[in-house]
Amino acid sequence: MKRLILLCLAVLFLAGMYVFAEGSQEAAAVNLSDPVTLTLWTHEDVNRKALEAELIEEFCRQYPNVSVDYQTYPSTKMREILTVAFSADQGPDIFNQSQSVIRQFVVQGRASSLDPEWIGEKTLENVKSRYIPGALEAVELNGEIYGLPLEYTNFCMYLNKGIFRDAGLDAEKDYPKTWEDVLSLSERLVLRNGEIITRRGYDFRYPSYTMQFLPMVEQLGGRLISEDGKSAIVGDEAWLQFFRYMKEWGPTGKNLGGPTYTAARKVFDNNDNEIAMSDSGLYQQGRMKTANPDFFESNDWMIVPFPQWQNAKKEVAGAIACHYYLVNGQIPLARQIWAWRLVDFMLTHSEEYLSRVNLVQPTYSLLNSDTFKAIPYSDVFARDMQKAHLVYYAENSAAINDKFKAAVESAMVLGEDPAVVLSKFRKEVQDIIDSE
Amino acid sequence: MFLRNNTPLNRVTNYIINLFLVFILLAILMPIAFMLSASFMSSSEIFSMPYRWIPSRIYLENFYRAVAGNDQSFIFLRNVLNSVVVATTTATLSIMVSCLAGYGLSKFRFRGRNIIFLIIMGRMMIPFEAIMIPMYITAVKLGLQNTYAGLVLPFVLNTFGLFQMRQYLMTFPDDILDAGRIDGLGELGIFWRIVFKNSTPAIATAAILSFRGQWDNLLWPLLLAQKEKMKTIPTYIVKFTEEKYSDEGAMMAVAVLASLPIVVMFLSLSKYFLQGSGMYSAGKE
Amino acid sequence: MKSIGIEKKKARWGYVFVTPALLLFLIFSLYPMLNAFYNTFFNIKLLSLRPPKFVGLKNYSYMLSSSGFWNSMKATAIFSLGAFIPLSLFSLIFGLIITTRLRHQKTLQLLFYTPAVLSSVVAALIWMLIFDPRGIGNSVVNFFLRTPGVDHNWLTNTGMLRFSTVTIYLWKYIGYFTIIYVTGIAKVPTSILEAATIAGASAMQTIRLIILPLLRPTTMMVTIVTMLNSLKSFSTQYLFTQRGAPLEPIDVVTLNIYNTAMRDLKISHACVMSVLLFLVMMSLTLVRMKSSEKDVTVY
Repeated sequence: MKRLILLCLAVLFLAGMYVFAEGSQEAAAVNLSDPVTLTLWTHEDVNRKALEAELIEEFCRQYPNVSVDYQTYPSTKMREILTVAFSADQGPDIFNQSQSVIRQFVVQGRASSLDPEWIGEKTLENVKSRYIPGALEAVELNGEIYGLPLEYTNFCMYLNKGIFRDAGLDAEKDYPKTWEDVLSLSERLVLRNGEIITRRGYDFRYPSYTMQFLPMVEQLGGRLISEDGKSAIVGDEAWLQFFRYMKEWGPTGKNLGGPTYTAARKVFDNNDNEIAMSDSGLYQQGRMKTANPDFFESNDWMIVPFPQWQNAKKEVAGAIACHYYLVNGQIPLARQIWAWRLVDFMLTHSEEYLSRVNLVQPTYSLLNSDTFKAIPYSDVFARDMQKAHLVYYAENSAAINDKFKAAVESAMVLGEDPAVVLSKFRKEVQDIIDSE
Repeated sequence: MFLRNNTPLNRVTNYIINLFLVFILLAILMPIAFMLSASFMSSSEIFSMPYRWIPSRIYLENFYRAVAGNDQSFIFLRNVLNSVVVATTTATLSIMVSCLAGYGLSKFRFRGRNIIFLIIMGRMMIPFEAIMIPMYITAVKLGLQNTYAGLVLPFVLNTFGLFQMRQYLMTFPDDILDAGRIDGLGELGIFWRIVFKNSTPAIATAAILSFRGQWDNLLWPLLLAQKEKMKTIPTYIVKFTEEKYSDEGAMMAVAVLASLPIVVMFLSLSKYFLQGSGMYSAGKE
Repeated sequence: MKSIGIEKKKARWGYVFVTPALLLFLIFSLYPMLNAFYNTFFNIKLLSLRPPKFVGLKNYSYMLSSSGFWNSMKATAIFSLGAFIPLSLFSLIFGLIITTRLRHQKTLQLLFYTPAVLSSVVAALIWMLIFDPRGIGNSVVNFFLRTPGVDHNWLTNTGMLRFSTVTIYLWKYIGYFTIIYVTGIAKVPTSILEAATIAGASAMQTIRLIILPLLRPTTMMVTIVTMLNSLKSFSTQYLFTQRGAPLEPIDVVTLNIYNTAMRDLKISHACVMSVLLFLVMMSLTLVRMKSSEKDVTVY
């Protein structure tokens, strides 16, 4: 019996040593003419997939030794798949994700740092000077650049003029300027069947807590983390005002909406008399055009800036979500170089990304281009962008976003006392910061 | 059996019980009826209040969108095929392995027999999520990414199936085995000709158990099958839960389509499905 | 009587038959399990390229003093009890009822079983729409309670949320376990039942004094299996939180393990929770087996 177990364990460990031995296959010389296949993982986006397929084809025609394996994943699963694959040292050569997810890859040394000469630039400064200030923040570390931005999205407010008219309002004049307006307008616009809402005035974007809700607190002078990064929750008054507002919004308050209703931006496009105001990025116009072309052409919608509080201490617009393309830093150098070249090649077609997929890259040339200016309400987004910063992207941001979600829900859905919610939230975030 | 005497009181009780039964059945079948009716509705009709069970118009576009996918690639058909291949192969290999091991563990006395049985059973207490990452690393090192082997091999050992086979074979009469030995059959011959061929009910139930397990599996194919053309039905379905494409009508249509093969199987092999549950109760030591 | 030589040879064949299962077990189960256990003594972070440091039992003491972990234990206990008690009780009742029906017994079994045939992803999709504020969950309940227009907050109220997860679980598995009882009851020898009827026992007496004691092995199987499965439940809770439901009331241990590893990348902490969950399951199984050993009736 004992012998059997010992034997099994021995076999297991030998097999383990064989299978798990670290391979060291570092190529000595870089040969850029060898055939190379690049794997690229990205989240699903039908229109972008079509565009990128064309760009890749063009690239491969120019460089016949390069071929590309393009794979798409559901965006909600993307983070897990990347994490697991990289943990097994099986990451793709090129991948893209939002600022908060890719930050971990940058900090942990999984991403390749860009040598400007690979993409035909003399210095890193030249690369940086393509982009507006702050755009590269999440991929910068110790003076190096670890990724290039694919899309730069801030939220402004979409309005359905028809529903405003229906409620005896004029959207052009009565659109909300402050969060107080948002609440009072919603009360006029909402329709219910008993307690169940059939038409909302406005509703938030529920999973995007650090993106949409945090700026509301910041307008009032509050902060998630102190400037030195050591203590959680600054400016109690700001937070309390925010939580009180959310409590009023929820079912125990004025019952104006909540996280279990269908996502606001999606029903907005349907124009089915379900929602009057919804927050989204410029890309939503593309979605609207596909989902409901009649509504898109109708001139019955408009976009206004991110609201501010009446007693706001500083103007802060909806935070900016940025997706970056990164290159795997653990693959042979030749592959890294080709990967960077492909990324650079694709991203230099920023006007196509904008006109065909409605994605905005934060380059000076694009933001000043006629293509950008020709897009309806692009000026609203551009103006707001100057008052906005990147979404919180520290290594622990996903965990904090979840605690933020729980806190907002306690106040809003469960109707808990804002002071209690705040002290619990402070403790949880402090724990997360301290455990780093 | 009992309760069969038709006294008046019993008739009343019977009536009450029947009523209760109908109520329970309605509750159990309501979600399924909802899935069917909603698959023929537009998204806004699904959420009409009060809900109308009969669609105002048969909305077949849902099924088109379900099959075509959001990129018109019709990869659904290939994914269905993958699911069939993976589930069938896993089921086949798994009954072989379970039957062999169940036979070995029930009819042979050897050192370590009980320990082996117990540690294999201990696996039932480990949530998959807990060992997902080391398992993935193992599979990657063995070069199993994006292969049918990678989707199949980790699930060939079906702890439940093995347990059932062992319980079943414990009651297998030893005389028949000994008769085979006397007739000069080798041990493998005995296993194949006598044990395997005479265990059809147990094998069928174990096979169905393992088939359904793989038909259902979401997390593992999601990790291991990175190429579109290697994905299986559950990984296809989750695309429809994505917020930006969220389309309740197509969601229900894809749910109906994904359930069809397994329901057809259930109706034609219902005996074995039901026995599959019954196997537990056979396990009296 | 066979000679010792033959016994030895037979034993060797025993090993041969067990080998394929054992090999698969070693590669795809034991190795990952040992790896997970090994990880608990180091501070491993997913994605990190730094070599992990040995930290002894620090991860265990961290986990055991973390409020998140205890909240998960609480959520798991509530879910498991909420699922396990009605599941074992109702499947027994339904099993008894079905066997007393004279007609349509097979059809009844099939209908009860149907939800168990659907895959969990499909079940989750259906119920997510049912629990939408405008979904049929509210309509049906309001119809029966005569409370038009009330929103029952299926996915937002702490208690309702727990109730909703349990409902899906019950719906999916009740038929499965009912059939187990039906098969178990069918195995009770008819002669005993006839004898009881002749002796003038009422239906309730027959059930209490004859059928239930004879069903003990079945009951033990059902309780152990439902217990273990409900402790491992993951997908419903996971999909609910993806849909916007609050995490805390339904943050069961498996979900916490998943988030700790995948979201926070703290694989060592996740592994500690796995080990602790394993120990809980193990001891519950042993306790349940011990308790039924005492009163098992041999027939």
